[in-house]
Amino acid sequence: VSLFDYDTRPATPGVVLVDTAMSSAAYRIRDFLSRNSYQYEWVDAGDTERVRAVLGTAEPDAASLPICILPDGTKLSPATLEEVAAGLGMVSGPARPEYDLTIVGAGPAGLAAAVYAASEGLRTAVVEAVAPGGQAGTTSMIENYLGFPNGISGSELATRAVAQARRFGAELLLARPLVGISREDARYRAELSDGTEVLGRTLLLASGVEWRRLEVPGIDELLGAGVYYGAGPSEALGCTQSQVVVVGGGNSAGQAVVRFARYAAQVTLLVRGTDLAASMSKYLIDAITAIANVEVRTGTQVTGVKADGRLQEVALSSSDGSSASLRADALFICIGGEPRTDAVRGTGLAIDDAGYVLTGGDLTSLARLDGWGLPRQPLPLETNLPGLFAAGDVRRGSTKRCAAAVGEGSMSVALVHQRLAELGGE
Amino acid sequence: MSEHAAAEFAQLKSLDHLASVAVALESNGIRAFVVPSGAEARSLVGSLIPRGSEVFNNTSRTLESIGVADDIERSGRYEPLRLRLFQMDREMQAREMRILAAAPEYVVGSVHAVTETGSLLVASASGSQLGPIVSGAEHAILVIGGQKIVPDLDAGIRRLYEYSLPLEDRRAREAYGVSSGVNNILVMNRVVAPNRVTAILVHEVLGF
Repeated sequence: VSLFDYDTRPATPGVVLVDTAMSSAAYRIRDFLSRNSYQYEWVDAGDTERVRAVLGTAEPDAASLPICILPDGTKLSPATLEEVAAGLGMVSGPARPEYDLTIVGAGPAGLAAAVYAASEGLRTAVVEAVAPGGQAGTTSMIENYLGFPNGISGSELATRAVAQARRFGAELLLARPLVGISREDARYRAELSDGTEVLGRTLLLASGVEWRRLEVPGIDELLGAGVYYGAGPSEALGCTQSQVVVVGGGNSAGQAVVRFARYAAQVTLLVRGTDLAASMSKYLIDAITAIANVEVRTGTQVTGVKADGRLQEVALSSSDGSSASLRADALFICIGGEPRTDAVRGTGLAIDDAGYVLTGGDLTSLARLDGWGLPRQPLPLETNLPGLFAAGDVRRGSTKRCAAAVGEGSMSVALVHQRLAELGGE
Repeated sequence: MSEHAAAEFAQLKSLDHLASVAVALESNGIRAFVVPSGAEARSLVGSLIPRGSEVFNNTSRTLESIGVADDIERSGRYEPLRLRLFQMDREMQAREMRILAAAPEYVVGSVHAVTETGSLLVASASGSQLGPIVSGAEHAILVIGGQKIVPDLDAGIRRLYEYSLPLEDRRAREAYGVSSGVNNILVMNRVVAPNRVTAILVHEVLGF
């Protein structure tokens, strides 16, 4: 730690969060705070000295955990993520009764669309369930993103994009997931989990993917207590000198390995396939290969977990039929995504068997245009619902890379303009 | 700290005295204001920084005590750089962090001494505060307690060592567990770019 570090520490108090390391409720809050770039102090409930210093009592009642103290002194107990978000002033309603474009999701595709749309004068609102950045937002260093020869972290890219979108006048409604979309004339009404509604003349679905669940008995109970989906930055420091296991063969898994290898004693990457090159960029494979405390095991799957309140070991099976166990203080699962389309089921939106949204030519070739009703064909990123577009990872056929999502988000705005011209009016 | 140092450097000067120093600062190209209280200084700082600006608040007891640090980091009116830097990766983004911290749109801080002839003196252990004040930041706003006025540069340098350092050293030991030091000294005698540097002289004892 350098003196420079002291000079850049926030001067005002952040959030204090008290709970045990096994608490998944506290993990959700930690993950939310760190992904929203909010400074917090983590106090382990077993550390009586620190607990007494922040709470005045050494042994908080287990039912009162997690306890969260906000910068203004408000104490939430037991704290929920929704209360923390509201208490920090992160929850606001839409400023306008109607928007030209509502964007669902503030990942690379959604933020790119927000910047372009707002910069061209469209009234733009973005709704986001957790934090800006999407899946790329938790990436430690993207080294092949255009214009950043030394690389840029996903969170920094998101921070810059949010500032840029806001500067052009886009509104961001954070910390509440979309729960439904309904038609109102030619417009779309997006409903959020707290009842907030956003009305848009067009809508872009850029909700991305969530991590695919690892189907292993006992793993759900350990979420936040040694088992994590994705590679959230909130857990990196907690991995100091520990045994870390990462599951997955894609770039997200590779990024996680590079990040945790700097803190952990040992990182083991488990890949189901036999060849990493089939799914990971070469620069990441090279980076991983060069790190001394990283071991890559291909043809290997997790079949079980052993825990004592917290994760202790993972059981493995190899493609050659052998099995083994591996000590693990933390298991990060980065095995690709499931498209986030739950909220739009029931709207008649055409999706494929895996749940990805069909757009443009796919709709015609797969004969999914029942009830289309317009004399033209769907535009390239348009779904089977006129004026409802899809971009980024949630779209069938998209390239699952940050730059590709940015490209689709940017491109969607030109198509939105065409649709708005078709609708006419102001 | 010696009783002599406290007697010499901790006394609040009169409003007239502050006003004459403001004239000297202005004649050296430093825009200067005199305000009666920390609360007035706080609202003046708020009116000088446009909403949405990227602002770095230097580590400063003065800014913390009058609420300016809180306004910058928590009000939502600005893009607070400290919060952003705090989230960045110390190893992988070190270069990016240095660039961001070196050249904010606004840097807000304080000084350790201001002379009757209109010079500003700032000491820094790491030196990271000094670059932005000298030239990195587009604008520098310095909030200065009325006890920091000294007759000349010699007295100013003595104030850094004999008065500010013992107080800052104690703070650094408590806050970070490390000692402080007068490792770097900035003396600002004259500012060439008009309105780049603003000094707010407060008729109240503030900071070290």
